[in-house]
Order: sequence, then C-alpha cells, then structure tokens
Amino acid sequence: MTAEHEAHPSPAQYWKIAALLAILTAFEVALYYIDQALGLGTLNALMLISLALLKFVIVVGWYMHLRFENAIPSRFFTAGAILAVALYLVVLSALGAVVIRG
Amino acid sequence: MTATAERPQTSIFKRPSSTTGIWYWLTTVDHKKIGIMYGYAAFVFFIIGGLEALMLRIQLASANAEFLTAGAYNAMFTMHATTMVFLFIMPASAAFMNYLIPLMIGARDVAFPRLNALSWWIFFFGGIFLYSTFIFGTSVPPIGPDGIPGNLAAGGGPGSFNWLADSPDGGWFGYQPNAGPFYSAGTAMDYWALGLQIIGLASLVSSVNFIVTIFNMRAKGMRLLRMPVFVWMSTVVAFLLLFSIPIIAVALFMVTFDRQFGTLFFAPVGGGDPILWQHLFWLFGHPEVYILILPAMGIVSEVLPVFSRKPLFGYSAVVFAGAAIGFLGFGVWAHHMFASGITPVAQAAFGLATMTIAIPTGIKIFNWLGTMWGGRLHLTTPMLFAVGFVAMFTIGGLSGVTHAVVPSDWQQTDTYYIVAHFHYVLFGGSVFGLFAGLYYWFPKLTGKVMNEKLGKANFWLMFIGFNTTFAPMHWLGLQGMVRRTWKYAPETGLEPWNIVVTIGAFIIATGVSVFMYNWGHSRRHGEDSGLDPWDARTVEWTIPNPTPEYNFGVSPVISKLDHFWHLKYDQDDEGRAVRKDDADEIVAELEHVGLNPPEPIPLPNPSYFPLLMAAGFPLMFYGVIYHTTAWGKALIAIGAVISLAAVIGWAIEPLEEPHDEPGEEILEEVEAGV
Amino acid sequence: MSDVAHDTPVAHHDDHESTGIGNRKLGMWVFLSSEFMFFGALIANYLLYSNRGGFAGTYPAEIYDIPFTSVSSFVLLMSSLTMVLAHNALSNGDQNGARTWLFATAALGAVFLGGQVFEFTEFITQYGMTLSTNPAASAFYLLTGFHGTHVAVGVIMLLSLWGISRRTGGLSEKHGMSLELVGLYWHFVDIIWIVIFTVVYLLSVPPT
Repeated sequence: MTAEHEAHPSPAQYWKIAALLAILTAFEVALYYIDQALGLGTLNALMLISLALLKFVIVVGWYMHLRFENAIPSRFFTAGAILAVALYLVVLSALGAVVIRG
Repeated sequence: MTATAERPQTSIFKRPSSTTGIWYWLTTVDHKKIGIMYGYAAFVFFIIGGLEALMLRIQLASANAEFLTAGAYNAMFTMHATTMVFLFIMPASAAFMNYLIPLMIGARDVAFPRLNALSWWIFFFGGIFLYSTFIFGTSVPPIGPDGIPGNLAAGGGPGSFNWLADSPDGGWFGYQPNAGPFYSAGTAMDYWALGLQIIGLASLVSSVNFIVTIFNMRAKGMRLLRMPVFVWMSTVVAFLLLFSIPIIAVALFMVTFDRQFGTLFFAPVGGGDPILWQHLFWLFGHPEVYILILPAMGIVSEVLPVFSRKPLFGYSAVVFAGAAIGFLGFGVWAHHMFASGITPVAQAAFGLATMTIAIPTGIKIFNWLGTMWGGRLHLTTPMLFAVGFVAMFTIGGLSGVTHAVVPSDWQQTDTYYIVAHFHYVLFGGSVFGLFAGLYYWFPKLTGKVMNEKLGKANFWLMFIGFNTTFAPMHWLGLQGMVRRTWKYAPETGLEPWNIVVTIGAFIIATGVSVFMYNWGHSRRHGEDSGLDPWDARTVEWTIPNPTPEYNFGVSPVISKLDHFWHLKYDQDDEGRAVRKDDADEIVAELEHVGLNPPEPIPLPNPSYFPLLMAAGFPLMFYGVIYHTTAWGKALIAIGAVISLAAVIGWAIEPLEEPHDEPGEEILEEVEAGV
Repeated sequence: MSDVAHDTPVAHHDDHESTGIGNRKLGMWVFLSSEFMFFGALIANYLLYSNRGGFAGTYPAEIYDIPFTSVSSFVLLMSSLTMVLAHNALSNGDQNGARTWLFATAALGAVFLGGQVFEFTEFITQYGMTLSTNPAASAFYLLTGFHGTHVAVGVIMLLSLWGISRRTGGLSEKHGMSLELVGLYWHFVDIIWIVIFTVVYLLSVPPT
C-alpha cells in the first residue's frame, strides 16, 4: 500500500533537469563575475536569489517528487521553509543586519 | 510477543522477550509503558525542583538571610527553572501524550514504537547527565583583567550550602556572555548546555513520531475534526516542538563551541553579539511556553465536559484557537526582550503581536466557561483541578496582558511581578491541568479510582498554598523586589510578605505529599473503577481498565465526535441527553470484547537498541566537556561507536518478528464484527 | 494474550495510513521540514556577522575561491541526479543499476566532502582563518561544518544501502523504501547547499 507514483519522470527527463540545473549554476557564477566587474547593486542580489530559488524548486519538485506527491507532506515542507525565512528575516532585521523597508 | 514455532534469527542478538521485570521495562516499545516511565521520571524531577524552590524560599523568608551563599542561590534558581520546564512539565506532558494519543485515535501504538522508546531513553539519560553536574560540575569566578579572580569571596561568601554553587548558575535562559566561557568558567554551564541539547533531541524525535501517528494511524471514521481536543493540542505541540527545537539546538551548539572550542558567537570582546543569544533563545523559548501550556489545556478540555455533563462548547473554535495560539506563538518572542535595547519599532510590533494572542486564548476560556454554564457540575477532584486551571490561568493571562504594554513591562521586568505571572500560568495552569489528568486517567493505568477525600485535601492544600505563594509576588514585584537576587535589605519592607510566600510554598509541599500518599494508597487499595467510572465521552474509555496491552480488542469505527457518549445517550426533543435503555449492556459488551479479542493480536517486539543508542549520547557529551584530556577524547569515540552499533542493529532488526498470516475467512469475520 | 493472527485495520504496522502516504515517508518529510529551522539559524547567524565591521583577522568573504566552490557545488548537484537515477532503476527492478547509481552518489558526495576539507585546510593554513579568528569565521565554519556533517551522514547511509545490495544481491521492498528516504534526505542536503552557495559564497561581501 505504498503511494503510487502516477507521473514518474523518465531517466531522460532527469538528465534534462540536471542539465538545466547546471546551466542555472553557470548563470549564477557568470553573474557573480559580471557583478564584480560592473557593480550591479541590488539587481545582482535579486537575480542570484531568484536563480537559487528556481534551482531549489526544481530539485524539490522533480527530484524529491513533491510535485506529484500527496498534499500533506508538501504543506508541512512548505510551512517549514516559509516559517524559517520569515522568522530569520525578522531576527536579522531586529539585529540591524537586514533593513526591511516598509 | 508471539507463541509461534521458532523462526530464524533476524538480528545479531536474540530478540528480548521478557514480559515482566526490569528487562521488560528496559526493552519495551509499548507506548503505555513508555508513558508511565516518562510520568514517574517527571514526578521525581517535580519533587527535586520543588525542593530547590523550597531552598530559595527559605533564603528569601528573611531579609539579608545567609541560609544559602550567593552562588548557591544562583544555582538553585537556575536548576529549579531548568528542572521544572525541561525535566518536569515537558516529560509529564509527554507521558500523557504517549499513553493517550493512540487510545484516543483508536490505534494500537504510535507510528514508530522503537523511536518512541529512543525518545524516552534519550530523555532519561539526558536528565541524569544534566543532574550529574551536582557531582562533577565546577563553577569558578572569572579572572579579571588584572589576573585576579572575580569579586566572589573565598569559600563563596556568607551562607551555607556553597557546594551547590558548583552547579549551573547562569539562569535557565543562559544569557550570554554571563553564561559563556569567561564569566561562567568551569564545567557547570557545559552540563547545562549539553544536557538540554540531549533532552531537546528527545523532544524533536517524539514530535515527528506523534505527527505521523496522528495523521496516519487514526481508526476508521476518526476524521481530524472528530479527534478529542487533547489530541489536537498535542498535534499543535508537536509542530511547535518540530520547528522550535532546531533553533535552540543551534543556539546551544553555538554556546558550547564558544565555551569549548574558542568560537566568538557571543563574546563581546571578540565582536560577538549577546543579543543574538537572546533572539535565538526566545525564538525557541516562546513557542516553548505554549508547548508547556497546550497539553494542560487539552486535558482540561476533556475533563470539563465529562463533569459538566455537557459537550465542549464550540469544539471547532477551541481547536482552531489552539492552532492559532501555536502559530501566533512564533511571532512574539521579542516581548521577552523589551528591556534589552531593541528598537522602538520592534517593541511596538512585538507588543501588538503579543496582545493578539489574548484573542484565541480568550476564545478558549469563554468556551470552557460555556461548557460549564448550564451543566450539572460534579465537583470531583479532576473537575476541581480543571476549574482551578481555568481561574488561575485567567489570572496569569491577565498579568501577561499587562506585560504586553511595553512601558508597563519596563517597570515589571526583572521583578517578582513577572515571577507571579509565569507561575500563575505554569503552576496554576499547567500543573493544575496535569493533576486533573492524573486523577481523571488514573483508572486507565490501574483499574482503580483515586481516593476522593484525599484528592480534595490534595486540591485544597495545593490551591491555597499556590495562591498564598504567588499572589503576593504581584505586589512584591511592583514594590520593587528584584528577581534572581539572593538577598534583600530589611529597609525595603519586603520581608513580611516574603514570609507569607514561604509559608505558602510549604503548604504546596504538604499538598503534594498528600497526592503522593493518595497515589500509592489508591494503587493498592483503591476502589475498582470498571470500564467507565466517569461516564465519559471519548474512545479511550471504551476499553477495559487497566488498558490491555493491545489497547483495542477490535479496532473501533468512529461515527461522530464524542463517539462513546453517543453510544450511550440519545437526545430528547429539547436537546438534552437521555441515557439509552441498553447503555449498560453496550458498556458491558465493550468490556467483554476488550478483554476477549476475537483474534489474537501481534504487537511490535521489544528491542534493546533504543536503550543502547540513547546511552551513547551522554558518553559523547561527557567526552566533549573533557575533550582536552585523552580519556575525554576516548569517551567521545566510545559513545559514538555504541550509538552507531545500535543504529546498525536497529536497522537490521524488523519491527515485528515474522508470524503466521490469518486465513481469509477469519479476516472477514473480524470485519463483520462490532 | 497475543498469539498468531491479525486484526484487519491495524494489521501490519506500515499498512495503516489515513493520509495515503506511508509512515516512514511522512516521517522523513516532517523531519526535513524541521531542518529548515536548523539551517536557517546557521545561515542567519552567518548573514549577521559576515559583513559586520570591526572584527580582527580575515573575513571568510575575503578569501572565497569561487571557481573551486563552483565546481564542488556542481558535483553535489549532479549527485542529486545520480540519486534519482538510483531510485528510478530500483523501481524498474534494475538492482545492478540501482547499486551503481547509489555508489556514484556516495562517490560524488565524498568528492564534495573532500573539497570542503581542502577548502578548510587552505583557509586555516594559508590565510590563518580559524574558528576563533572572528565571529564571521566562527559562523562560516559552523554553517558549512554542519552541512558537511549532514553530507557525511548521507554518504554513510548511501554506502550502507550499497553494501546491503551487494551482500544480498539486491534491495528488498523495505530497503527500497529506505533508498527513497535516503534520497529525500540527500536532495534536502543538496538544496541547502544551493542556498548556501548563493547566499554565502556568491552574495556575501566583507565590510568595506
């Protein structure tokens, strides 16, 4: 009575995902050097965080299979992630390390 | 637990098979036995924590007293709080959750029985590790910049019991850098930090176990919104633990590294930020206090309806309010830091957030009152404690609201007003709730009821003693009596009420002694309870007392909330409960089926490995404290090897030893049954 | 009292699942969601100190070797691929394939760990940045150290499964579930590194 996997990606798809992840990583590293040279400011941070988030979602959704899984583990996992980000942003803001402009 | 023919060995060592005696208890994976062990251990720590409190109260009964040295006093208030929070209330709640959750959802055990045993043994060894500080711990004054030790007098100064000063004395909150390597040199605070680390791990493992159990192992028909409120509150507690223990784990690792390995997380001299500690500690610490109160709220939500002969008023509201309290509880931690120099914006935000928690709390209080209103109250001992909870917790909650007003809190911080607040919610709240539960569910454990006369004496002594002790602390605090300070001058005029407080403390002690006598006496000579001594509402009362090892003879099928009540009672036209004519037969039939299951039931086998794995942790942590020595390093290695070996053995060993499958016809018969 | 047969609804321990997802799998997801709070605290701690001015000694952000770390990040990322291929092979009954991919995952994990060890050694010997140099260094080592410990535990679990598969000729259904669980853990450790690589290595700057 284990959970049925209806939509299981094929090995070929897994390889494609891996290629995508590698490309995204390459973008990130390239951005790092571009920022070193040109000084992109907050745009750099925004883009790098978006890229990291994209890789995060891809690994969680497809490799960890959460996209195809029951809703319950998905909710717990997302709750943990959101709680962590929210709480620590508040802590860092209270300690002056991060400024949250209202 | 099977009596089949000999099967091939499935693990390295012979599987334990005792059914009685010490080996039975050391290797059990039965949630009920584990709950009982948690309960007795928690009570022992309750007594020890109480004795620590009495030491404090004797010192404070007179101005300028020298009953304890300053160092001993610091150690006593640190250990009193640490013991009561981590070694009494949390494991006592765990005792109830372990024993009752499977029974209340119609299951035969928790999702991971061996992990459950592991949690218990980790806690047990952690508690012993922490308390071994009284034997091994040291506390030395810091070395000043001129190379001369700090200003504590030789021999600890005036007073006695100075040997107690070698225990953790940095407060249960371990504020840095005071509890760090420079100002708290010696090993006592390492025992504190590492002891809590071990105990935190036990709770984290438990929380995973309970969440999976509650979501996955409910009986047929036991929808989430049909579960007893106690199970719901336990669910919220499990999530609170799940998300808050990792924070304190990181904080404790950081302080251990500061103390042992030279990191600079909290050392201002090297650039560390002491306020970071406060944030991390209270990020855990505030959810922690909801962890301490929610189980008791759950217990009270079970007891009040039974003894008011009415359903819980607004079940869904009580459930959602509990969830809201848990959720909001993550957003208010800095209200413990209003006087620590956080910005005005932060103070305003956290003050406002703190006030919002009063809303779901108020919902619960009004719903409890609504439950009792119009009911036929039976003031048995559990009911007295439950009603006492509602009253005392409300008072504590009101003083809590005054703390949410920031300027008011500046006045109250570090005074006895705060001490009054949290004792009203933790003692008048949690402890009263736990005692209600002990009296209420005693029959499930023993098949007997506790003595009512002794119970009432217990209650009244505790109630009077409690209020005598903690009510005066409100005005003592507002008059300026400072916390965490070993003596006060006679000119302050604080002595008379302090004497009253101390007398109250001894009245509490008398009440607790009556309880202990009642427990022991009733176990041996108590009246038989039968299946349903309280005419209760929920599923754990549909099985015989004491609870059979397999819990349910036949798994229940739940039709609605308060399933058991509806088996016994119908409603008349005006909505009043009318006992069915055949209610007594139904109850008798339940008892019969419970004692004579139609088919024998295999249970998870006992195991050595949880005990063994848990034993490795204190060894490793002793090694960490003394890691600069060769034998310290050896201890780390030995502890790691023991735990690792246990993990391997556990992984190989199956949960249940192989046994025969039933035939198809037998399964159909069973399904067609009750 | 208990002898042989079962009662249907709670017969085998793992069978009864009101949610439709097995106990062990649900348990692993629940545990992993708590790990966000653990690593979150460590990352926040690093962010607090990494560019706070006034400390003595070298700041980690001054001495990162981005090309080196990019390669080791890539290695860890690819180990998620091999992990998922191992799981895929096993669900298709390919025990040999599963075993190979398991070993590959463990190997890539070990390479990553080797890279961490090399990096730490460089930092300590060449730049003199130790645990006690300053709070930023302490935070860096604690964060990456705990992450590395998690990877090491993962490698041990992977090698154990690989060893069992070799010894018994293949993984049983129970061990198949274990592989899936180890896989979830492994991917989690990878996504934490995705965050660390970006936030700690690429984004953090020392104080000016």
